[in-house]
Amino acid sequence: MDEEPERTKRWEGGYERTWEVLKEDESGSLKATVEDILFKDKRKRVFENYGQVRLGMMRHLFVVIDTSRTMEDQDLKPNRLTSTLKLMEYFVDEYFDQNPISQIGIIITKNKRAEKLTDLAGNPQKHISALKKAVDTTCAGEPSLYNSLNLAMHTLKHMPGHTSREVLVIFSSLTTCDPSNIYDLIKTLKGLKIRVSVIGLSAEVRVCTILTRETGGTYHVILDETHFRELLTFHVKPPPASSSSECSLIRMGFPQHAIASVSDQDSKPSFSMSHLDNSSGPGLTLGGYYCPQCRAKYTELPVECKVCGLTLVSAPHLARSFHHLFPMDAFQEMPLEEFEGERFCEACQGELKDKSVFICSVCSSAFCVECDLFIHDTLHCCPSCIHSQMVPSTWLTD
Amino acid sequence: MLVYFPYDYIYPEQYSYMQELKRTLDAKGHGVLEMPSGTGKTISLLSLIVAYQRAYPLEVTKLIYCSRTVPEIEKVVEELRKLMEFYAKETGETNKLLALALSSRKNLCVHPEVSSLRFGKEVDGKCHSLTASYIRAQRHSNPSQPICHFFEILHANIVVYSYHYLLDPKIADLVSKELAKKSVVVFDEAHNIDNVCIDSMSVNLTRRTLDRSQANVETLQNTIQRIKEIDAAKLKEEYRRLVEGLKEANVARETDIYLSNPVLPDEILQEAVPGSIRTAEHFVGFMKRLLEYLKSRLRVQHVVQESSPQFLKDIYEKVCIDRKPLRFCAERLRSLLRTLEITDIADFSPITLISHFATLVSTYSKGFTIIIEPFEDKTPTIANPVLHFSCMDPSIAIKPVFERFQSVIITSGTLSPLDIYPRILDFRPVTMSSFTMTLARTCLCPLIVGRGNDQVAISSKFETREDFAVIRNYGNLLLELSGIVPDGIVAFFTSYIYMENIVASWYEQGILENIQRNKLIFIETPDAAETSMALEKYQEACENGRGAILLSVARGKVSEGIDFVHHYGRAVIMFGVPYVYTQSRILKARLEYLRDQFQIRENDFLTFDAMRHAAQCVGRAIRGKTDYGLMIFADKRYARADKRGKLPRWIQEHISDGSLNLTIDETVQLSKHFLRQMAQPFRREDQLGLSLLTLDQLQSEETLQRIAQIAQQV
Repeated sequence: MDEEPERTKRWEGGYERTWEVLKEDESGSLKATVEDILFKDKRKRVFENYGQVRLGMMRHLFVVIDTSRTMEDQDLKPNRLTSTLKLMEYFVDEYFDQNPISQIGIIITKNKRAEKLTDLAGNPQKHISALKKAVDTTCAGEPSLYNSLNLAMHTLKHMPGHTSREVLVIFSSLTTCDPSNIYDLIKTLKGLKIRVSVIGLSAEVRVCTILTRETGGTYHVILDETHFRELLTFHVKPPPASSSSECSLIRMGFPQHAIASVSDQDSKPSFSMSHLDNSSGPGLTLGGYYCPQCRAKYTELPVECKVCGLTLVSAPHLARSFHHLFPMDAFQEMPLEEFEGERFCEACQGELKDKSVFICSVCSSAFCVECDLFIHDTLHCCPSCIHSQMVPSTWLTD
Repeated sequence: MLVYFPYDYIYPEQYSYMQELKRTLDAKGHGVLEMPSGTGKTISLLSLIVAYQRAYPLEVTKLIYCSRTVPEIEKVVEELRKLMEFYAKETGETNKLLALALSSRKNLCVHPEVSSLRFGKEVDGKCHSLTASYIRAQRHSNPSQPICHFFEILHANIVVYSYHYLLDPKIADLVSKELAKKSVVVFDEAHNIDNVCIDSMSVNLTRRTLDRSQANVETLQNTIQRIKEIDAAKLKEEYRRLVEGLKEANVARETDIYLSNPVLPDEILQEAVPGSIRTAEHFVGFMKRLLEYLKSRLRVQHVVQESSPQFLKDIYEKVCIDRKPLRFCAERLRSLLRTLEITDIADFSPITLISHFATLVSTYSKGFTIIIEPFEDKTPTIANPVLHFSCMDPSIAIKPVFERFQSVIITSGTLSPLDIYPRILDFRPVTMSSFTMTLARTCLCPLIVGRGNDQVAISSKFETREDFAVIRNYGNLLLELSGIVPDGIVAFFTSYIYMENIVASWYEQGILENIQRNKLIFIETPDAAETSMALEKYQEACENGRGAILLSVARGKVSEGIDFVHHYGRAVIMFGVPYVYTQSRILKARLEYLRDQFQIRENDFLTFDAMRHAAQCVGRAIRGKTDYGLMIFADKRYARADKRGKLPRWIQEHISDGSLNLTIDETVQLSKHFLRQMAQPFRREDQLGLSLLTLDQLQSEETLQRIAQIAQQV
């Protein structure tokens, strides 16, 4: 991820003292800068994920977006709300990309109330269009953490036990207006194994710290927009499943994609089942995916069949969530002086200039920090391993 | 020397602190040490001194640890317990140390009957009736009577109690006089020690006190009458003892058993009690005359200020009371109360007060002043005469302590500027050091706000404090901060009156309403019950995410004793510079005295006093290394070098030129940035090696060099 801070250009931001960042670095080893700590943290995150842990692949996630008065603040451009919604679109895309068999729902909270923007569902398009529409909402009043969590809880508690139940709160305000004691609710949430994570947009709020600590979620506060995006990406990855969650086999359908051309005599245009409820979508199509159980037609996967309730996925979808199960081993860090060999990164071909290089444990080729992060976060397989054809076949399906 | 330290990691400044402490103990001198709160002062002190006791049992026999409030004493005991457990674990032997914490009888009494009483004074009275010397004497003959364990102070190796037990002559005489000379005395949180000294030596008499002592005298008279009828021998015995004088006490003091009591000057000990007050009836008559005289003095229409010799001359002329019997007044009254076997000492507190006054006024010709005010400043129409007998020299009360004990350590989080304490307390320290906090991240952010967005300078100085623009800017500052600071904000004003004015004016301008959209507002009042209620609700609001602001007053209860850990105080705002009320006559007299005796200029002392209170207030927010908080000084004058230079070093080193004289906008930007940075996850590993050290790291050469920089000798 590009770490170059954007705020160097933001003169509009008022009195932001960019020069102080530089000064802090010079002041000797006594004070490590926060950036330094953050970087270490990032590296650590890569490591953390590589134990053999069971991950909850089927996720049910409610995203609570604060749309209170504070969302009008302009410290994210053009304002917090627009910026957040835009990042949310990206998040929803990524989410379904990485977790094809999961569902998401969106709740917004303002004026001491909480309401559902979209229900828990697996269709990214629906969510994204709802988010696009939400840009015009007026931000007013105070948020209510209690009401939003309560709303999310009422839906999530009916979800089956083998799936993960999660809530992600994007919290901009520093206050919450609650009708009753939130600590009771936190206890209930804990009992229902609902994991609540919070991304704060302004500062650390005590009640969120407690909330996330108790329910096993994470709590982060953004530094700027880049950091915000990074934090959201962090939530794209499925969390480790709790050991107590039940295991069960899930029936899934793998529909064939029937391609039909206009010239084909047998083919008749038909409606996709997923577009029945909203009139705005495309109308008649020729080809599509047909449910193996009831022959209902869909133009997009993954989806839950409206007729028979079967989860319809394609093999590549499953394969994509597969890398969560068999993650790549972390590269070994080695100081540059000790590294013998050509000082070029195997991936980007740039010169290795940083203090340390990262070595793949399988093929022992060297990478720079940036490429290391890219490989682990995005590619999920080592390019030079693939090159030498020594990889397990499962990785190739990606 | 091997020091057992009960934690796995040590802060570098703790190590440095111990080094300095050891130097002080080795030199058998006194020390002034400043170390920020939350860096483990207490445990460093305890572990080093206990280790010292073990290593050199003949050099240091006893540790006397004085702290200020009951919760602080509890904290010390808790740390001590941890240390003891660690000792037991490491050395494998059960320790022979006996530690004892003393507090008021109300808090500590274990007697099943007595501890059920609710009011402090009742408990004291009842306890006294069970433990007074004559009852303890009875116990020797009759062992079935229960014993109170708190009379075991002599045998303890570590004693933890409040300052007053050592400084206040009235209490010190009861509790502390038999402590060994080879003790180490530690005054923790000692930034106010001069005021404690002064308070312990000052006496305020109102008409009510006089009336009640009148009643006391009558009770005494009746009791004497009764005893005379039953047991005249007892009074005769007392008379005989008084003739012999206080020889015993004198012997005791010369042989170094007792801590000398400033109320009981040396000359008295060599003399016998004068004949005019030797018999009980004569003494009662004498007290009556004294009371009448004081009453007549209180019937004044204008303010009178005079010195002790003037007062003595006057009393001699008016009611023919000589200086000598006055000096024996306190001792004589004690003896009488003992002889009469009066158990309820509490009832006799007014007359005891008067007797102390009499002794003090006749003993010290310098360092004290008498001010008689016919009414209070706030209510000039209501007659409420008060006689202030005020001590101006804190060194009088603390002198015996410095003289008697081989090492006295004065320590606190805010003692800057260090050199002023030895001057006003009149002693010569061997070490004076200020320590900084080593931090893995800059967790405190002092900002000096000098002007509003409209560029009007903001300041609480007298000429501008009524200024509309200043009040509005203060309001805007609080409003803006309430929107960006999470959870709790504590705002300090310079006085109750100033706070009332400002809050009323904010209300009119609608600022208060706007603030309330962000956070709830709580206000400290002079009433203790109301304040603790407000505090409780404030903490609740911080806890459940509503957010709150506490408006309080520098020098008030909140600023002195309450910690605002983590979310309870994410920002502290100091509105104005908390100067003392300079028009007060007592203060004026004291300033004059300081100038004449110690060559401390009025302005220097006032600034010093204001800044130590400001530092005390803002220091409430940071109570440890994982804590973080904004410190906002909202007054232009803080930017000046004479003010800034008087802040403790650990705050000062974080004030850069860039954080001076900011506008409200700039402050908000900086604060926002700071709060976001601080909200990033922070773990123990990040601190290791920088601000947390393991044993191995401690032994490395490089670290030792760095540690050497932490302490700054003055």
